[in-house]
Amino acid sequence: MSLWTQSIVSGLLSGGIYAMMSLGMSLSWGVLKIINLAHFSFILLSGYFTYQLAFSYGWDPFAAILVCVPVFALAGMALQWAFDKLRVSEFESLLLTFGLFIIFESIASTVWTADFRRMDTVQNPYQSQSVWLGDIALPVPQLAAFVVAVIVAFGTRYLMEKTDFGRAVRALSQDRDVARAFGIDPHRVAMRLAGLAAAFAAIAGVFIAMSRALWPGLAVEWFGIVFSVVILGGLGSTLGTLIAAVIIGFVGGVATVVGGPPMAPLAIFLVLIATLLFRPQGIMGRSSI
Amino acid sequence: MADLRFEDLVKHFGGVHALDGVSGHVDDGEILGLVGPNGSGKSTLINVLSGHYEADSGRVVLDGEDITDRPAHRIIEMGLARTYQIPRPFSTMTALENVSVPLMFGAEPKSPGEAREAAREWLEFVGLEAYADEPITSLNLHQLKYLELARALAARPRILFLDEVLSGLNPAEVNESIEMVRRIHDSGITIVIVEHLVRVVTSLATRIMVLDRGKVIADGDPGEVMRLPEVVTAYLGKRAQSA
Amino acid sequence: MRQRPWLGPAVTLVVAVALWFYPNLVDAAGWPIFYLLFAYTVFFWVTQASSWNLFTGFSGYFSFGQGAFYGVGVYALGVLVVKRGWPLLPTFVVGGLLASVLGLFIGLVVFRLRRLRGEIFALMTLAVAFVLGAVARISPTIDGGQGIPLSSVPTPDALGTHPQMIFRLGLITAVLAVVVVQVVQNSRLGWGLFSIRDDEDVAETLGVPTFRFKMIALGLTSFLAGLSGAVHALQVSYVTIEEVFNIRVPLMVILMSILGGTRHWMGPVLGALVVHTMSDRLNRAGLEAVSDIIVGALLILMIVAIKEGLYLRMRERPLVTAIGAAVGVAAGFVLGPLDSAVTHLAYTLLGAVLGAMVPVGRRRRPQSGAPATQTIEEVVGG
Ligand SMILES: Nc1ncnc2c1ncn2[C@@H]1O[C@H](COP(=O)(O)OP(=O)(O)OP(=O)(O)O)[C@@H](O)[C@H]1O
Ligand SMILES: [Mg+2]
Repeated sequence: MSLWTQSIVSGLLSGGIYAMMSLGMSLSWGVLKIINLAHFSFILLSGYFTYQLAFSYGWDPFAAILVCVPVFALAGMALQWAFDKLRVSEFESLLLTFGLFIIFESIASTVWTADFRRMDTVQNPYQSQSVWLGDIALPVPQLAAFVVAVIVAFGTRYLMEKTDFGRAVRALSQDRDVARAFGIDPHRVAMRLAGLAAAFAAIAGVFIAMSRALWPGLAVEWFGIVFSVVILGGLGSTLGTLIAAVIIGFVGGVATVVGGPPMAPLAIFLVLIATLLFRPQGIMGRSSI
Repeated sequence: MADLRFEDLVKHFGGVHALDGVSGHVDDGEILGLVGPNGSGKSTLINVLSGHYEADSGRVVLDGEDITDRPAHRIIEMGLARTYQIPRPFSTMTALENVSVPLMFGAEPKSPGEAREAAREWLEFVGLEAYADEPITSLNLHQLKYLELARALAARPRILFLDEVLSGLNPAEVNESIEMVRRIHDSGITIVIVEHLVRVVTSLATRIMVLDRGKVIADGDPGEVMRLPEVVTAYLGKRAQSA
Repeated sequence: MRQRPWLGPAVTLVVAVALWFYPNLVDAAGWPIFYLLFAYTVFFWVTQASSWNLFTGFSGYFSFGQGAFYGVGVYALGVLVVKRGWPLLPTFVVGGLLASVLGLFIGLVVFRLRRLRGEIFALMTLAVAFVLGAVARISPTIDGGQGIPLSSVPTPDALGTHPQMIFRLGLITAVLAVVVVQVVQNSRLGWGLFSIRDDEDVAETLGVPTFRFKMIALGLTSFLAGLSGAVHALQVSYVTIEEVFNIRVPLMVILMSILGGTRHWMGPVLGALVVHTMSDRLNRAGLEAVSDIIVGALLILMIVAIKEGLYLRMRERPLVTAIGAAVGVAAGFVLGPLDSAVTHLAYTLLGAVLGAMVPVGRRRRPQSGAPATQTIEEVVGG
């Protein structure tokens, strides 16, 4: 019984990291119409940066956020700038970022090798700490990721609904030319949004480094999870992404109890198929796909 | 024989009621003029009848058969072809290849080789034979509209929907095009033509249907319909505003 | 070419017959066995790239699923022949068919969607290889995480020694794939796919049965990929989940097809030859680490700069290409070391490719007029 509860709770909690990984993807695809596979590289590299800062300079993993967020936000903006310059179509973006993904992956395996990299308990004291709810353990890294993801999701929602920037973004997602007619500079808005998306990737990377071992092939494993979350949540919907991430985390947790860890991707994939068959616009999506 | 009826067609785009319960019919052998101010739903009606869009509700019946939920490729096979108001040529193909595509499909599909030969004739019909092997980037807007026409004709339709193929032409070209439409009609094809130029519609159409904000506001003899007060206010009033 | 649809397949078959005796030549001349295995690997990639191009190049639907289809073929052979003792030849076909079932299942789920079909198809195919890996890991009947040794597979003697047999099986599948793509390219199916690539909605309203055509093409693509995977299993001594269901195969076929060009059957063939030759030489020179970076960079370069691909570009400018190839041959002699004919081939191909890429001669066609923007104004102006 307690194994069940424990696994389901950890599943739900890992929804926090899934949400953090997926939010930027959803924004980029839903609003910028860019399917950014380099997003996964940003997550991975941010994880490695966190590891390296702790390993070489003894930084607290939380402090790594201060470095990773600006670095990857800038990288995301630079990428968006290049996309705008090259007038990349939605499909070409997929291919271009696939090329980048490959490059980043082989850089990662050159620099950090194909071995597992993990901070030890001195560099990362959090990985062995838990908050106890009765006899259920809530590991600190996952819990922190969950809390941050909820804050970020609601913060982004506020940003999108209540601010000028959000209005500009929404205009942009409807129609670039109309947005321009209202005095919005699509390139500037797109760059800022891309920076935001990449910043989310950076945060996700920090939490991943805190909670598990890293290796270059990890990024490929995230494809299925993140796309399931993004599609289930509805493209561009922040709240939908958060809820979908928790659902996916829950499904993965249950599947792990029932059939062991390899069952999780299969169960998640089935959720994705069911979504596409029965509710292709996602749980919070407005327009039909 | 071609007998097309449609009942209570509804199509919404978000909050826009592009079609708001449109009923009507196309009789065999007629030239039906479909008119209405900008945004009144003319193109949407063609899109729904040709299967390009799925209607939210309503029915389309051809020769007594309900074709509402048929996929578009089955509808053209049954004899309903259309042109696009904004030409949508296949961008990586030559003009000839564009026209040969519909010839390879439909009720009497041809092999790609035969289709190319037959496509040449349709290009000649619309006067584009000189552009046969050119990429479509070398065609201007009028030529692209004629290419649309050739492509639709190549499908050998019984009913042809023409969505503003004549708009933007100079008077001489308009006369030429009117003649072309007559020739198409004389070959036994029923025509539904959308046009803003009143001169064109009244000189061609045997009947006129007027749409306004997704509803049919008049239907009947060309001369009479265009004089009805509601048509004058809806149609000309809007046109005057937008001008 | 389009007016003479039989020409391509005829040439392919003649070339195939000639190549059939290449192993005898290698044997008689006393060349190293590597010359056979190298050629086999080129055939393997020609098959995979052509198969990918049949669906993705022609229809425009982007697929990352090549690795999954290929992997189904590899595992079909591993499970059915090694664990169940099935005869070899029927299992090749079964491998292809199983891959087709997977492809058609994905198509059935995704092609019914109204919007974003293309994007979601791409992402589904991206995720599916990983999911298959998970399935294989869970199921002890497939793999169970142990891997399957394949070196003991009994092979027929009719096709010669083991390397000769591998070569000839590879040749047969490659010829099959190329001929299928050639036939499709000149058929109603091909034209239907091209029109889908250009504008799927218009294709449908002009009579193209778009759903059926996509399913047929995807079925063919996945069949060829699975078949080729099953054959390739004979060349592998030990199959593991990590080595099969990874991003390698899709990456390579995408690069090969994009590099060679997706509009013509020759594009992936040329791309496979060039990319495999280059990466083989890079690996031999101990540059494996940079070879992925080069691959990624090349992919980006092609998309940004040379969208039509190398084949059409070479056809448009045969002279510079020939000069480039000649320079390549000469450079090979000067720079050396020409320890192997493959190195020589690499220099020649590199020269031809660089020659074709050099921005001289005919520029891109000027775009006369701007129909799109003009149209909107005209229409609004009534
Ligand atoms: N694909 C679409 N998405 C959203 N709105 C649409 C779409 N197609 C049409 N509309 C809207 O539906 C309404 C009817 O448009 P439609 O094109 O049918 O008008 P029309 O009578 O053909 O006008 P025009 O004379 O300008 O061609 C318009 O308000 C238009 O903006
Ligand atoms: Mg219109």
